[in-house]
Amino acid sequence: MKKDHHESDAFYEEFEVFSKKKDGSPIQHQFSLLAPNEEMALIMAKENFFRREPAVDIWVVKRSNIRKLAQSEKEALKKLDKPYRETKGYADLNRRWRAFKEKGKDEWLKGEKEA
Amino acid sequence: MIEQLTFDVLNDEQKYQHFMERINRGEKIEADDWMPDDYRQALIRLISMHGISEIMGALPEKEWVPKAPTLNRKLAIMAKVQDEMGHGQLLLRVAEDLMKPLGKNRDNIMQDLFSKRLKFHNVFHMPSPTWGDAAVIAWLVDGAAILSQTMMLDTSYGPYGRALKRICQEESFHAKHGESLVLSLAEGTDKQKQMLQEAVNRWWDALLMFFGPKSKNETGHSNVDKNIKYKLRTKTNEQLRQEFLTKYVPKMKLIGLDIPDKTIRFDEDKQEWIYKEPDWNEFKKIVSGNGPKTNERLHLRQSSYEQNEWVREALGHISSAAVG
Repeated sequence: MKKDHHESDAFYEEFEVFSKKKDGSPIQHQFSLLAPNEEMALIMAKENFFRREPAVDIWVVKRSNIRKLAQSEKEALKKLDKPYRETKGYADLNRRWRAFKEKGKDEWLKGEKEA
Repeated sequence: MIEQLTFDVLNDEQKYQHFMERINRGEKIEADDWMPDDYRQALIRLISMHGISEIMGALPEKEWVPKAPTLNRKLAIMAKVQDEMGHGQLLLRVAEDLMKPLGKNRDNIMQDLFSKRLKFHNVFHMPSPTWGDAAVIAWLVDGAAILSQTMMLDTSYGPYGRALKRICQEESFHAKHGESLVLSLAEGTDKQKQMLQEAVNRWWDALLMFFGPKSKNETGHSNVDKNIKYKLRTKTNEQLRQEFLTKYVPKMKLIGLDIPDKTIRFDEDKQEWIYKEPDWNEFKKIVSGNGPKTNERLHLRQSSYEQNEWVREALGHISSAAVG
């Protein structure tokens, strides 16, 4: 009584599971599972993966509802170099401040002498 | 640089080069990324074998759930069996995502298991006749598994690495559980000590085999080189076996166990363990589906898969009714 196994594809969908460890922590992707609907996905997520570790919230999302980046889009992200948006783009500031301080000290010493 | 923006127009050779550069830089490959066919095949083989081994590995321990000596031991071994099943679920999902472009799914994995095309770890083909065996499995078989899983935490395939991270966290509980079982027997009566020793004698060869042969000379076949090239793993079978011996032989001696190999010694000059090789023909025989408990456990797995088919179907009807 071998049945057509393709049928199982039709109703088991991929769900992505997210959880929040404690109040104040961000919701985080954990893993995926197969389930026929959202309610079962939640039950299976709890049963399979939250027997031990703490969780204050669990989300399940049908994978087909997630728009992910294609590889070419991900590659394009890597190319972006925007130092002007980051502190490391301003790494020369300390050196420049130092130069002013050095100069200031000389000026001050010079003033002392002249007085 | 310009190639990155136009990844889609690269030819296969350029994509392969780009792929190798990525893994050599330590980047992680994700399920939807381009990957060479033999990388995908290597992952499917490795991860479906690992996932199924978790599930088949719960069976010898499960036999001890109804017979555990105390309520606390029963709860702990039950928790462990659940964990192993959970690890199997986690890993089979990772394997399924890799198989999807080939038009395959979990059912193919299960059918391959039942027809013995898909292999599982040699240790899970073996009988566990006493509580001493349950202790040795929990301490040493899990100990061996932890070493090889930890080695792969930094694998080039992102989803596998993330699953392993989670698995290794739970394994640290298993390691303590195993130590606790073994120490109780080692502290016990002569009869209990003897039970533990006999279990060690039964498991020793299987434990050495667990890591696989040193090279393909022993079994005529090995995937280790490819798996290292693709950064799926970082150590050879023999390196792992040496680590295992270094970690456990002194502890075994400390609690009064005899190592069932009179020739074993640590060679200070070579800085390695010299030991008696297990019978690799026996290993081949076992993993190809002819171990002492292979058929019984496969039959258990298969009958439960078939008997629960109605549940999977019933759930499917709820889903289509809700959508319709």
